[in-house]
Amino acid sequence: MTSPSASSRKALSKIATNRLQKELMEWQVNPPAGFKHKVTDNLQRWVIEVNGAPGTLYSNETFQLQVDFPEHYPMEAPQVIFIPPAPLHPHIYSNGHICLDILYDSWSPAMTVSSVCISILSMLSSSSTKQRPNDDERYVKNCRNGRSPKETRWWFHDDKV
Amino acid sequence: MSSNISESTRKPQETPSSNTTTNDAGDFECNICFELAEDPIVTLCGHLFCWPCLYKWLHIHSRSQECPVCKALIQQDKLVPLYGRGKTQTDPRSKPLPEFEIPHRPSGQRPETAPPAQDNATNFPNFGFGGFVPMASARFGNFAMSSGIGGLFPSLLDMQVHGFQNPLQYGPIRHGYGPRFSSGFHGGHHVHEIFHSRRGNQEYNLLKTLLLMIGIFIVLVMIL
Repeated sequence: MTSPSASSRKALSKIATNRLQKELMEWQVNPPAGFKHKVTDNLQRWVIEVNGAPGTLYSNETFQLQVDFPEHYPMEAPQVIFIPPAPLHPHIYSNGHICLDILYDSWSPAMTVSSVCISILSMLSSSSTKQRPNDDERYVKNCRNGRSPKETRWWFHDDKV
Repeated sequence: MSSNISESTRKPQETPSSNTTTNDAGDFECNICFELAEDPIVTLCGHLFCWPCLYKWLHIHSRSQECPVCKALIQQDKLVPLYGRGKTQTDPRSKPLPEFEIPHRPSGQRPETAPPAQDNATNFPNFGFGGFVPMASARFGNFAMSSGIGGLFPSLLDMQVHGFQNPLQYGPIRHGYGPRFSSGFHGGHHVHEIFHSRRGNQEYNLLKTLLLMIGIFIVLVMIL
């Protein structure tokens, strides 16, 4: 199974389109602090700029998140990855994949792009070391054919970072 | 399709309905689709959803039976539907649901209705009796005794009917579950039993024998 690229992915359902329009509108009125949505014509793929929170290991650093929405969003989680170079973090792989439960098993349709962004920033901010996950090389090699992180079987073990 | 999407992203502010809903009606938006809840249903933890949205999440996409907002356990028999005054032009059961077969929304639980006010209960025997006396005296003054006697007993029956009217309207309903309107009629049966066993039974029998004796007395007087 290879990850469907943005162009071949199934178009958003009507429910997904409506919901994303609402989310975008709310974002424009009240964006989460430290994030900037890069305006595009594509509702199905959002690119978001993240600024490391002041006073943390990532202050003054800027990263880019890519959020791809499945046909049946919000019943299915969006695919959220960092566009490399990804932040150095024990739960972020060098290919940009993020090991964070709410993006996979613990996704809930009541979550929003905004709430996911805040969770990711919180994950960054609580980090005490700037390092890659132990299995980074192996994992990235496995994903070389463009596998989506949503197809990974994640094991969530750390509740501190 | 994609052109539609891109157009709407460029100028989302121009959708007037969305603007108002984000500000005013947000309290009544489904926590999943963010639209005004359709077939609204509330969890015990107080979170509002469209019934189709919640059903699809719990039965098709989710691995757990958790509230999407707060992760409280959801028991389907404890979901509360919201019945507003809004229009339902079509029978929701006949609505074809695309992709999935979504069952009808769970119906509300119906607790027993409040018992009739205390005044009603005490007034009832008086009312029955008071209704009877003038009628009887009117008959006594009448020479057409046979019709008078005939009138006595129907008046008793009348009283029964009157007595039942209140409990039918306000009395306890046991099967307060199921379609909203029919339940009232189902409940009527139980009300009937409760009414008889609970009150007025003794006075009733007393009254009955009294009237019977008067009736026999009148018949005797006539024969003599």
